[in-house]
Amino acid sequence: MKQAKNILEVRNIHKDFSGLQVLTGVDFTVAENEKHAVIGPNGAGKTTLFNIITGNYKPSSGKIIFKETDVTGKPPHILTRMNMSRSFQITNVFPEMSVFENVRAGVRSRQGLRYNFLKRPERVAGINQKTEDILEQVGLTDVMSEPVSALSYGRQRALEIGITLSTEPELILLDEPTAGMTREETAEAIRMINEVTTGRTLIIIEHDMDVVFSLADTISVLHYGTILASDKPDEIRNDQKVKDAYLGEE
Amino acid sequence: MDKKQYTNFGIWGIFILLMGFVVPVFFPAYRVILVTEAIIFSLFAISYNLLLGYAGLLSFGHAMFFGTGAYVTAIALGHIEGLPILGAVFIAILATTATGFIIGSLLLRHKGSYFALLTLAFNALFYVIATKWHSITGGDDGLSVTRPDLSLGFTTLNMSDITTFYYFTLIIVGLAILFCWYFTKTAMGRTVLLIRENEERMKFLGYNTNISRLYLFTFTGALAGFAGSFYALFFQFTSITAISIDMGTAALLMAFIGGTGTFIGPILGAFVYIFLQDFLSDFTDRWPLIMGLIFILMVLYIPGGLSGLFLSIKERLSGRRAATGQTETEGQNR
Ligand SMILES: Nc1ncnc2c1ncn2[C@@H]1O[C@H](COP(=O)(O)OP(=O)(O)OP(=O)(O)O)[C@@H](O)[C@H]1O
Ligand SMILES: [Mg+2]
Repeated sequence: MKQAKNILEVRNIHKDFSGLQVLTGVDFTVAENEKHAVIGPNGAGKTTLFNIITGNYKPSSGKIIFKETDVTGKPPHILTRMNMSRSFQITNVFPEMSVFENVRAGVRSRQGLRYNFLKRPERVAGINQKTEDILEQVGLTDVMSEPVSALSYGRQRALEIGITLSTEPELILLDEPTAGMTREETAEAIRMINEVTTGRTLIIIEHDMDVVFSLADTISVLHYGTILASDKPDEIRNDQKVKDAYLGEE
Repeated sequence: MDKKQYTNFGIWGIFILLMGFVVPVFFPAYRVILVTEAIIFSLFAISYNLLLGYAGLLSFGHAMFFGTGAYVTAIALGHIEGLPILGAVFIAILATTATGFIIGSLLLRHKGSYFALLTLAFNALFYVIATKWHSITGGDDGLSVTRPDLSLGFTTLNMSDITTFYYFTLIIVGLAILFCWYFTKTAMGRTVLLIRENEERMKFLGYNTNISRLYLFTFTGALAGFAGSFYALFFQFTSITAISIDMGTAALLMAFIGGTGTFIGPILGAFVYIFLQDFLSDFTDRWPLIMGLIFILMVLYIPGGLSGLFLSIKERLSGRRAATGQTETEGQNR
C-alpha cells in the first residue's frame, strides 16, 4: 500500500454561527493527489467546511494543517498564494468583464503581477498564453472576449472552474461544480474535471452519487456536523452507519 | 476590441491635445485663463474618479490632499530660496503621497458609508488645522504664492505671462492626466476594477484587497496634491477654500456631471463646471444654488453623466444597442 503524504489535515473543527452549531468536531485527512469527495445532506455544513479550510471563515475551534503548516485563521489570499484554490457553489465571477480577463486575473496573480502601476498584463510574457491554455482546458476559447454576463449558465459554471485553475493550485476544492447542469453538461463537466485535476489534489462536494462513486478515491460523509465515515468508495457503500443515515434513503 | 479602444482614445487624445495647443491663438487671455483652470481641475476630478468611478469608493475628503498640495507649494516657495517651480510641485506630491499613505492606512478596512464618513471627518480635521495653525498657513488670510520662472538652461520662461503659464500647465498636468489614463490599463488599474466588481473572488485569487485600496488611495491623494499644487500656482494664492469640504464636493460634482463611467468624463465635467461657474457668476452670486440644481437633475435623469449620455446616443445611432449585456454607462471603465 502506498503511504502518500497528507496535503491537508482537518482537525476537530467546530463552527457555530451565533449559537447555531453547524460543525461539531470535523476530522479527516486528504493525501496528495487524492480525489476526495465530501457528501452529505443539504445544510450538513459542507460549504461551511470549505469556507473554513480556505480561510473565508475562522473556525470556532480546531486546526487546519495545509502542507504541514498550521494555516488556521490565515486569510484566503495567503492560502491562495500557498497554492490552494476553490470554486463556489453559487457562481462567483466578474460578470461585467470579459471571459479572458476573468481568468487572466488569477494567472497574473500567480506571476506576482497584482498591483503593478507600470506594467500592462498583456505585455508580460507568458500571461496571455497561460490564460489561453486554461480557457482551452475548460472549453471557453470561442467566447474569450465576450463579457461573462452574455454566457449561458453552463458556460459560466465552466468559467467558475477556469478561474479556480488560473492560480495553478496544488489543492483544488470544488463546491458542487455541476449544480444546476443538465445530464449532458454534467457528464462533460466531470470529464473536464477529471482531466484538469490529474496530478493535483481534489476535494469535491457533489450530490450526484454516480459522479461521486466514479470520480473519488476517498469519500467523507458529513452528517449533523461530524464526519460519519471517511473511506474508500467500496467501504462507504457497505458502511451500515452511512446506509442508515444517508445512502439508505435512495 | 481592446485595440479599437486604444485607437479611439488615441485619435481623441491627439485631437484634444491639438485643440489645447491652439487655444491661446484663437481665444482672448480671459478664456485662456479659464482653460488653464479647467485643465488643473480636470486632473483633480480624474483623481477623484479613480476612487469613485473605478474603485467604487465614495470620498468626501479629497480636498484634504488638494489643499495639502496647495499649502505645501505655497509654504515651500515661501521658505526655500530659489526653489524652482517644478521643485515645489515635486515637494507637494511627496507630501501628499505621505499624507495619503498615512490616512489610507487608517481607512484601510473600511468601505461604503463608513469610508465616506471617515474621509469627511479627516477632511474636517485638516480644515481646522489649516484655519488654526496661523503661523504656517496664514489662517483665514491665506498665503500668497510667487510663481518662479522656469529655467530651461538655454532660456528662461516668464511664468507670469498668461500664455506661457498656460502651456506649462497643459504640458505638465497633461502628462499627469496621460499617466492616469495609462494607469487604467496597467495591472493595478485592472485590479482596482476587478475588486470593485467582485472583491471576494479577488481574495481567492491571491489579492490583498486592503493593500490594493491603500495603494490606490495613496496614488489618488498624490494626484490631487499635484492638482492642488498647480491650483496654488495658478491663483498665486492659497486659502482655506482649497482644503474645505466644498472643494472635495466640487470634484464629486465634476465627476458626476461628466460621468463616472468613463475616463474622459471628469475632464468634460471639469470644463463644464468651470465655464458654467464663470458664466453664472456674471449674473448672480447664487450660482452654487444653480450648480446644485443641475447636479440634482443630472443624478436623477442622466446618472451616466454627459459622457454616458454621448455614449448611449452613439450606440443608439449605430444600432449597436447593449446587446452584449453590458450596461451603457455603469462599468464602461473596462
Ligand atoms: N454565514 C452564515 N451565517 C449563519 N448561518 C450560516 C452561515 N453559513 C451557513 N450557515 C448555516 O449553516 C448550515 C450549513 O450550511 P452550509 O451552506 O454549509 O450547508 P451545505 O452542506 O453546503 O448545504 P447545501 O448542500 O445545501 O449546499 C445551514 O443551516 C446554514 O443556514
Ligand atoms: Mg453548500
